[in-house]
This record gives sequence, C-alpha cells and structure tokens, in this order.
Amino acid sequence: MAKLMQGKLTRREVLKAGTAVTALPFLGLAAPSVLAQGVSKSPSRVLDFMTNADVAKAEQEGQLVFYCHENEAGTAGIMEGFSKDFPKIKTSYVRAQTGALYNKILSERSAGRFDVDVIQLSDLAPAFDFQKKGGYEHYVSPESSAYKKEHLSAPNGYFFWTGVDPAGIAYNSEKIAVSDAPKGWKDILDNRWKGRISCKISSSGLQFVQWYMLRKIYGDGFWKEFAKLQPHAFDSRVQLFDRLSKGDDMITAIGEYPAYILFKSRGAKVEFVAPPDGLVATPLVVGAVNKAPHPEASKLFVDWAMSKRGQAWYQSNPNLYYASVRPDAPAMPTGVKLSDFKLLYPSDWNEYASQSAIFLKEWNGMLGL
Amino acid sequence: MALGGFSFSAQKVAGYGVAAIAGVLVLYPVYFLLEAAFDVGDTQVRPPTAFGVDNFSALLQYPQIMLNTLTVSVAATVMALVFGFVMAWILARTNVPGRRLFEQLMAVPYYLTPLLGALAWSLLGQPESGFINGIWRALGAQSHLIDINTSYGIAWVMALFEGSVAFVMIAALMKSMDPALEEASQVIGASRIRTIMRITLPLVAPGVLGAAIFVFAEMLGSFAVALVLGLPSRYYVITTAIYQMIQQYPPKIQVAAAMGVSLFAVMFVTLYVYRRVVMSGSYVTITGKAFRPRLVDVGRLRYLLLGICVLYLLASVVLPLGTLFFASLQKIAVVFPTAENFTLDNFRMAITMNAVRSALSNSLLLAFGTATIGVVLMGLLAWLIYRGRLPGSGLIEYIVMFPQAVPRLVFAFGLMWAWLIFPIPIYGTLWLLLIAYLTVFLPLGVRTIAGVMLQIDKSLEECAQMCGASWAFRVRTVTIPLLRPGLVAAWLLLFIASVRELGASILLMGPHSKVITPSIVESWFGTSSELTATLALIQTLVVALAIVMLVAVTRRISAQPLD
Repeated sequence: MAKLMQGKLTRREVLKAGTAVTALPFLGLAAPSVLAQGVSKSPSRVLDFMTNADVAKAEQEGQLVFYCHENEAGTAGIMEGFSKDFPKIKTSYVRAQTGALYNKILSERSAGRFDVDVIQLSDLAPAFDFQKKGGYEHYVSPESSAYKKEHLSAPNGYFFWTGVDPAGIAYNSEKIAVSDAPKGWKDILDNRWKGRISCKISSSGLQFVQWYMLRKIYGDGFWKEFAKLQPHAFDSRVQLFDRLSKGDDMITAIGEYPAYILFKSRGAKVEFVAPPDGLVATPLVVGAVNKAPHPEASKLFVDWAMSKRGQAWYQSNPNLYYASVRPDAPAMPTGVKLSDFKLLYPSDWNEYASQSAIFLKEWNGMLGL
Repeated sequence: MALGGFSFSAQKVAGYGVAAIAGVLVLYPVYFLLEAAFDVGDTQVRPPTAFGVDNFSALLQYPQIMLNTLTVSVAATVMALVFGFVMAWILARTNVPGRRLFEQLMAVPYYLTPLLGALAWSLLGQPESGFINGIWRALGAQSHLIDINTSYGIAWVMALFEGSVAFVMIAALMKSMDPALEEASQVIGASRIRTIMRITLPLVAPGVLGAAIFVFAEMLGSFAVALVLGLPSRYYVITTAIYQMIQQYPPKIQVAAAMGVSLFAVMFVTLYVYRRVVMSGSYVTITGKAFRPRLVDVGRLRYLLLGICVLYLLASVVLPLGTLFFASLQKIAVVFPTAENFTLDNFRMAITMNAVRSALSNSLLLAFGTATIGVVLMGLLAWLIYRGRLPGSGLIEYIVMFPQAVPRLVFAFGLMWAWLIFPIPIYGTLWLLLIAYLTVFLPLGVRTIAGVMLQIDKSLEECAQMCGASWAFRVRTVTIPLLRPGLVAAWLLLFIASVRELGASILLMGPHSKVITPSIVESWFGTSSELTATLALIQTLVVALAIVMLVAVTRRISAQPLD
C-alpha cells in the first residue's frame, strides 16, 4: 500500500485494485458510482478553489450530513468553516469515536439507510475497509492535484488526508524543570513518572501508530517497560492536557501538538518536546460516501476541505489545529508547518493494519482491561 | 351481569394491549441483543453469519472487572439506601424544620446528572489538583486528604447522584402510610427507634426492596461516574469496559452484548427474590379506613435531623454546584486562582453554541413526552402486574424489568438494530429516542408506581366492583386517585431521568435529534472541564426552571381532594 501511495504500483496491486473496483459491490453500492467516476464536466471555480460539484444544485439540496470521529467542538468547527463559505447549505453531523462511528455507518447501510454525505475517520484501517466494501463515492476532486499521491487513496478519489495529528511528549513545567524534562522517546520509560504519566486508550488511531512505530524502533520490550509505569489512559487529547495542566499527571507520553497549542494559549504551564526520532503522526481521512442523500453538497465539501482555503481553516481552528499535508498550505498559528517536523508513521499501512489485534490485546491488557 | 361482562372485556383488552406494547418495546430490541451476543461470525457483518457461545467464554477474561463492578455497585446501593431511607423518613414522617424546602431540594442531585456530580467531585477530590486537597495542603498537610478515584469514592458519588431515586421511591411509600400504626406502637410503649425498626421498616419493606433492586441495577449500569472517576485510577467496571470495547476499531460489540446479556441472570435472581418477598406478606397500609397523614413529633431531635439534611444537601447540591460555578469562571480550574485566570469566556462560548441550545430544547420536549406517555403506560402495566389477576402477569413483570438488567450503553445497540430496519422511518429522529426512553425507563416507572400500588388494599376496588362499577370506572374513580402521589412521583422521575439519560442517547442520537447530556459528555471529552462545568450549570438552571413550573402544576393536581 505504501508503494501504491508512492506511485510504485506492482502488477499484483493493480490487479487487486481492479478486483476491488469490479467486485460485487458491498450492499450493491459501489459499481454505478465507480463507473461514473463523478467527473461529468470540467471543473469550475468557486470562491478560490476548483470543484466538479454543481454549486447551484448543492445549494438546492440545501443540506450536508457529516459523520466525524472528531470531538463535538472540533466537528462543529469543521461544519462552521464550510457553512461560512456556503451559508445556503445547512450542515448537521454525528460524532463518535472511529470504531463506534464506523460500526454505526455499516449497520445503517446494511439496513438500507443512506443518510450520510461525508465521513471523516481518524484511522486508515477502517478507511481501507470502507473503500473495499464500496462505501465511498468515487469522486476525483480537482483539488487533489495539489496533493502527493501518498496522501490520497489508491486509486485516487475515495479519500484523502485532510490533516495530520502529530504527537511528541508534553510535560507540566511547574512539576518538571527543563533540565529534568524528557528529551527523547526512551525517556518516557523513566521510573520517575510511575503513576504520573498518561497515554490514550486503544480506540485512538494515533496511539496505535505510536505503539507500532516505537515498537519497531525500540523493540517489543519498550511497551512492556512502559506498562510498569502504570499509565493513566484517556479518550481525548483534551483530557490528557487538562490533567497535565493541573498537575494530576507530570507528563503525557502522547502529547498531541494541536492540544499543546490550545492549552498553551490558555496559559497552561505545559511544554512540548519533539523527540529526535520524530513525532508520531496519524492521518485524518475524509471521503464522500456513496448513495449520499446530498451528492453535490458532499462533492463540494470534499473540494472545500481539500482546498487551500479549507486546509487553512482546519489548521487554524482552535479545536482542530490539524497540520496540513498540502505543500502550499499556510503555516499553523505557531508559525510552524508540518514539513518542519520529522514525522514517524508506518511506511506500509497494510502491515500496520494487520497488527491491530495484537495492539488491542496488549494495550487493553496493559490498562487492566 | 352484562355490565360485568363488558367490564371484564375492557379490562382484558386494556391489559393485554398494554402488555403487547411493552412486549414489543422490550423484546423486539432484546432479540437483536441476544442475536449479537451469540454472533461469532464476522463482527462487521449483519445479520450474523455464525452463532456460538464464544462471546460468553470471553467474559472469563475479565474477572477483575466483574469484581470491581460488584464492589462499587454493592457499596453504592447500600449508601444510597441508607441515605434514601434516612432522608425519606426525616422529610416524610417527622416535623423537621423546612422539610418542604428540603424535599424539593432532594430532587436536585438527581437532575444534576451523575456526570456533573462526578465532574464536580473530580474537581474537589483529585489527589493532586482537587480543591479540598489543595486547601488541605495549604493548611500544612503533606499529602492529600481524600482520593475520589478509589472504589469508595466512585460509590460515594454514585450513591449521591444515582441513588437519590431511592429517596423518591421510599418517600412516596412513607407518605402513603397510615401513621396510626406507628402511633399505636408508641402508645403501647415502644421507643421511636423500636417503632421504626418494628413498624416503619417492615411496612415499607417491599418498596425498599424494590428500590434496592432498582438502585442496584442502576449502579450496575452506571457509566458516567465510573468513566470520570474510575479511568484516572485504571479502575474499570462493566460499563466503562463495554465503552472501550465499542469505541475501539474493530469494536467488540458482540462481547459487549454478551456482557450485557449475562447481567440478565443477575437481574432475574434479584427480581425473583423481590417477588417472593412481596407475595409472602401483606404490606397494605391504605385501606377503606380513612386516615389523615400526620407527622411524628421528634422533639429536639429535629435539629439533629435538620443537620443531617443540611450535610446531605451540602455534599450533593451546594458543594458540587458551587465547585462547578467556581470552575466555570476560570481558564484552568484551580483552587487558588490568580486574577488573570478568571474569565467569562466559558459562558460566552456556551451561550453561543447552537448545538447546545437545540439539544436542550430537544431534551425538554422528549422528557415531557416520555413522562406523560410513560405514566399512562407504566401505570397500566403496574396495575396489570399487581392488580389485574390476568394470566401471565408474572411473565410481564420479568419482561418489563429486562431493560434494567442491561447497561443502556449495550441495550442501545439492540434498539438501534431493531428500529433501523423498522419499516416506519423513525431512525435518527426524536421518535426513536422517545421509544428508547419509554423502553429503558419501563422498570423505573413501573417500580415507582407499583411501590405505592402494593399499599392499596384490593378491597377498595372490589367494593366498587360489587357496587356495579365497570373496570374503567373503578380505575378512574378509585385506583388513580389513590395512586396520585405515586403517579406524580413517577412523572417527575421519568421527566428527570429522560433529561439526564446518557447511555442510550449517545448511540441513538441522529444529526437532527441531539440531546443535552451526551452533548455535555462530548464537551468533557473534547473541550475543557471548565466549559463543561458551564454547560452543566446552564443545563441545571434550565431544567430547574422547567421542574419548578412542572412541580407547581403537579402540586395543584395532588392537592385536589380524594373523591
């Protein structure tokens, strides 16, 4: 899959992709839209981006239903950005963690209900699965030319990386002096943090990536050592930083940069460490859903989200602060761009996805589940 | 005789009609839940492709979670019953000063929602940053005073905020009790304590037992408190474990369903015990003989009792609300904030959130609908089970209690699958939530009304029947007026329970049918504890206003003299 993303397609992979496209569509969903390709006319310019959607028709549809893994404030923030640009399209959303959200959409579709226009997930594994099941609408956005292939689905047109969530180490600067602060990933194993260190629960795609990458770099024993520290695990980055800023935890092993910016702006005594090995990072992927009740609005949203304008919104909203993979995207509010960071993420996403069961067992076991 | 024949038919039709509705509401989703619990095929394919018992075998991997759940549930139930009984006795049976005010305040912890209670007590009792511990350290202590993240801390908060239903249920019983029995005991020389132990307690025993079963089941299914307070100490109970299972990818919904279904067994045993106790004794306190409810004069003891009331409400209302208010005024909530830490931004933000406004109005609308329809449906069910003398009433009771046995987080999956494929398109609308609430609150409503119904002597209805009254006429003129306090209590309980419902709503909310408590949970997950505190306060204020209005109306109804 990594090869696919890098544009190095093998014959076997091309055949596989072809099979997926022409396979009996999941619940009878995929084939017609795949064949249609969603490109029936030349793109038009709306605001400052290009779209294949019929904007007048999208406004006539008048609605956009969005399923999103992001927290309430973040999801509302995404919808707010789109609504500002297209006030005639009323937005609504459902948010849940990726696992629950994905299960919900599969249950709905298996019952013949198609209420969703666009879905955003925080993990590539369910995105691959959804693509395989024919759940995505195949729509090649004119804005996708601004993206590297590795940040688009293979083949292009199913989903794209709307942002990246990078994480390093964060600590409470009132509890830990700069000289004592961790400098690299191995420093999180220090016994000083026992009972005062936090991480995320197994539903987090980012936590999965961190487990996968650090295990690859430091070996199986890394997380076994980490487990001895009896870390506290939470759902969201906000909870991690909330506890960190109040001193309930001294450090967090998975300090997300967007949360760091947010809490720093509130005056929290927290500091961020970018380990020399790199920041672990996970993509947040967006795609139009097929049999959408508002197909033109869903295409318009994908184009908007892919555009420089949409990416700027994703990057600057305090409840999102996603780092953009679009090379020409502006800098984040802190003045840094994603390219300023060294990132750690799987080079082979299929191999990564295959480790899911091991991760769940180990991580849940470590947390006493 | 013709009248009697008609009466019998109307009774039968109404009885079986209501039983059929309850059956559909409960058994239809339960079918899907059972199907999921035995589904051992591909977890992402519905309907299931293979069946087996592997999901139940998998439960053996979680002995610590089962033990944690049992520890917390038992401790919280005992605390809740002690608080509930003591407060109900003080406020319903004694002449403690200001008892009317206290009685109204007793409902506050129930509608504050367990999430808010947990959030407030988390701010108060975290070992490091908790306000109480902060003050304790400022006084010179080296370590913390309390740790709310322990099993007893969790049970304490659950008892305060989930267990206040025990007070409502027991108080309704005590109000319906003829004080002549207690007076007779004292006249023949029994002390107050002996009277409580030998007269009051046995008379309210079925109600207390009913409340105990109900509260225990509530505690088994309690989610928000264990989530907020248990996670920081890695203390998992069934509901928080289930939550993790259904959130992760791929979700373990089948194992979660098996975990939920296995709780049926626990519930059936407790229900069986309850029925045995109820059927083996007579607990009738309302008979054809007239009585005027009188309060027990406890003399100077009333000031001590007043102190107990004040302490209870301090822990369950004043301290949590004060804490939330204090936190809502800060950027980062600390016990000794600097001047620049104070802000009104949280209120500004909360007021401008459209989603919160619509969620709040949806919640109030749903609560009104659930309470109004629920009282009629559940009142008829309670009558059918305990008074109807129709064949199969015992079975109906077991069916009605099903939703109580399964954490709502899991039951919601059954509801989702059931109503997703239903030909009438209610999925994703407020109608689905209304059906879900009516289903999951069946045990609450039936148990509350039944507690009072058991105290009414059957002879009153039989007397009316002998005088030639039809069944409908008897229910209207005898049963309902006598049940009025129970019905009013049930209405208010259902209203409040609906507003604070979390487990089922999280999954069943659609893009256009959001409700308030899950929105506050979302805020806790995704924004900040300070903004969440603000939202909680706004919710409390709005719901308080609604309840004040509703109480005024229901008091008018209650004040009407019995026919």
